[in-house]
Amino acid sequence: MAAGAPAPRAAPVTFDTRLGGLTWLALKGFLLSLVTFGIYRFWYVTNLRRFFWSRTALDGSPAEYTGTGKELFLGFLVALAILVPIYLGLFAVSLLAPAIAPFSVVVSFVFLFLLGQFAIFRGRRYRAMRTLWRGIRLGQDGSALAYAARAGGWWLLTLWTFGLAFPFMRASLERYRVNHTLVGTSRMTSTARGRSVLGPWLTLYAVGLGPLIALLVALLVAADFSLPDDLLVPKPGGKPGETVFNPAYAGSNIGLIAELGGYVAAVCVPAALLLIPYYRARETRAFMNAASLGTARLVSTLRARQFYWPYIVYMLSVLGFLIVLGAVGALLVFAAQSAGGVSVVHWAVILVYLVGGPLFAVLYVRVVQARLWAAVAASAAVADPEALEAVVASARGAGSGLQEGLADALDVGGALQIGI
Amino acid sequence: MSEHLSTVEAAGRYFDGLTARPHAVSLRLDDRFRVTGADIHRDWNLLDLRAGDSVPPLTRVGPAGAADRVEFSDAALAAALAARCPDLRRREAAGGTLRLVLWSVAAGVSVLLVAVFGVPRIAGLLAPLVPDAAEARLGAVAEPQVLRFLGNPPACTEAAGRAALDRLVARLVAAARGGDGAAGAPPGAMPGVLPGVLPSALPGVLPADLAVSVRRHGMANALALPGARVILLSSLIARAESPDEAAAVLAHELGHVSQRDPTRSLIRASGSSFLLSLVLGDLTGSTIIIALGDAVLSAGYSREAERAADAYAVGLMTRAGGNGAALADILERIAKDEEKSDDQKSDDGKGAGEDHGGSGRSGGLDLLRSHPFTRERAATIRALAGPDAAGRQILPGNEWAALKGICGKRPEGPEPKP
Repeated sequence: MAAGAPAPRAAPVTFDTRLGGLTWLALKGFLLSLVTFGIYRFWYVTNLRRFFWSRTALDGSPAEYTGTGKELFLGFLVALAILVPIYLGLFAVSLLAPAIAPFSVVVSFVFLFLLGQFAIFRGRRYRAMRTLWRGIRLGQDGSALAYAARAGGWWLLTLWTFGLAFPFMRASLERYRVNHTLVGTSRMTSTARGRSVLGPWLTLYAVGLGPLIALLVALLVAADFSLPDDLLVPKPGGKPGETVFNPAYAGSNIGLIAELGGYVAAVCVPAALLLIPYYRARETRAFMNAASLGTARLVSTLRARQFYWPYIVYMLSVLGFLIVLGAVGALLVFAAQSAGGVSVVHWAVILVYLVGGPLFAVLYVRVVQARLWAAVAASAAVADPEALEAVVASARGAGSGLQEGLADALDVGGALQIGI
Repeated sequence: MSEHLSTVEAAGRYFDGLTARPHAVSLRLDDRFRVTGADIHRDWNLLDLRAGDSVPPLTRVGPAGAADRVEFSDAALAAALAARCPDLRRREAAGGTLRLVLWSVAAGVSVLLVAVFGVPRIAGLLAPLVPDAAEARLGAVAEPQVLRFLGNPPACTEAAGRAALDRLVARLVAAARGGDGAAGAPPGAMPGVLPGVLPSALPGVLPADLAVSVRRHGMANALALPGARVILLSSLIARAESPDEAAAVLAHELGHVSQRDPTRSLIRASGSSFLLSLVLGDLTGSTIIIALGDAVLSAGYSREAERAADAYAVGLMTRAGGNGAALADILERIAKDEEKSDDQKSDDGKGAGEDHGGSGRSGGLDLLRSHPFTRERAATIRALAGPDAAGRQILPGNEWAALKGICGKRPEGPEPKP
């Protein structure tokens, strides 16, 4: 680059927001998945990805998705062959070794969590290897085992620090993912730092999680780190299984803290939920700004409100549907009472599933997924895009098509993942 | 033919598939597709051209199987290409949606059939092979879950009632072991049963570690769990008008235990739901289907198993010197209560007319399921028990009073709705 060059060109990332055909694609995908006992979902996911990839263009050239539904389906079958013996083994262990039985829930949770992280990394590799830009295939190296081990270690640390290490974990895992992402033969690099998202995280933490964790610790301290078993007692005169707070503790520290905890939770949990999109937007922006390919850098100007808007629209749509539903339901119940048959209500419930299911499936894809994707894409640009021209295609092939099946079978990941 | 084709030209960008560098080129379409730029001369056959996914007006084409491609944003050229390249939008192995859907439906139906018909058979074969120790563990795992489902009803442990129940269980077990039922007969029972009335040996074996418990619950029912655990709900004892009615229900559950029906049912339910949830996976409405399948599949024992347990109960009661026909009495009484409480469900139309404040009991765990079936069962039970059965009584009056009081002063707790 010449030293006296004028303002360097930034190549925008664009996303076509007209979304023509997406409604039909989502509707067809939802209905066929329903009819085919869920098997069509692999083809649905493939179609969704082709749709979103082809509408996302960098420097005028759209991305290409070359994966197929058949690959996803075969990967799922292979994953089943791995998972079924594991599930059966976990079940047999809990049954045959009663000594381990109390821990078997923990053991299976930890094991399946690590397997899930493993699957997430492998799924990302599959998506990278099925993505082409200007005919150059993306790729991912690195070890899914190492990734799962890192994720497990970081989660332990996050738990030990009462969640304070969370942004550092996110940044570390992001660095591992991006630093093992290849475009042709060029390797992407990420300088993501936990510091850069510490502020948003602490906001979320102070408002949502901190008070609850502090109260829990206070409760443990007040109880000398051994919570009494009779904190909850059966409700006198209530139904079996119904419990109330033991009145014997009403005046003590424990009682006060537990009571306070109830009120705090009523405020903190909704506040934390409301702040999650804000944190996600800040994190996405910070991590995208940290990613580069050679001297070409990603630049993101993502605003947090762009992450709120899709959810607000979706919530309002759901609310509107529920109001209409309530009105229609009341009308139907009235009609049923005058007609003298409750089966009308049953039919109404079935109708709600038939109408509400497809409606929300389409709305979710159109409003939430598409708008979030559009917000991330449209707010991004590449600084110094000339460096991209130096990218050289790699000689390696497209890789195994079976890698994403485990993620699907474990129900981690998803059709579209926002960010990189 | 080719001479009729007009020439369409446009500017575009060429990518060689080796680097990401764009090359400005001019495009020319006649009977071939020609790409010309600095040092670039490509001449592609129209039959080979394939278009990638893109949003109009942007078009991206390249020869099939090759890495190089051209991008342009010219509507006229795009339309001409679409008209002249027959395979432009063809995707390898695409277009088989209908076939895919049909095969998927066939596969799903096949798995459903296996879950509905195959798994019960397999469970029937496996249940006798489960070792007693494993079954006991299964029961230990299953009992808290079942109790949670019932709303954790408290156990009834009034000493006198417990002692009466223990004696009743001991009598039934002794009778099942082939011992002479009359040997342990209490003073009040009909002394001696004619040898000719004694039914042939009872099928199945009762395990030694039989555990019968009573729980306070508003539902008139009883259930058998793996590992020879039987739970009687207090309402059942309250609804019984004679000791033989309660004993007959207990004997019916012992019939399930001797045939290992609870274990079979557990294997069947968990096997089927495991199979269904594996295949259906997630997404869309599959979870509803799973919940539905679970409910349908774990509905209880088969009618054959119920009939066998009825026959076992009658045989056992007769051997123990009790009234086997009492099972029919209590079955019918509870079934009547159920009909009152949910009369629109009885689609047979009989008995639905009487409607004077049903007791609101919901039930149907395993004792009774459908009302026509109850009538048929009652008739069979009475025929099996014979005409002499009605005169016999398995417990003397004082023991029966003690058993009725096993849950303490209150005859029934506040009626919970499970």
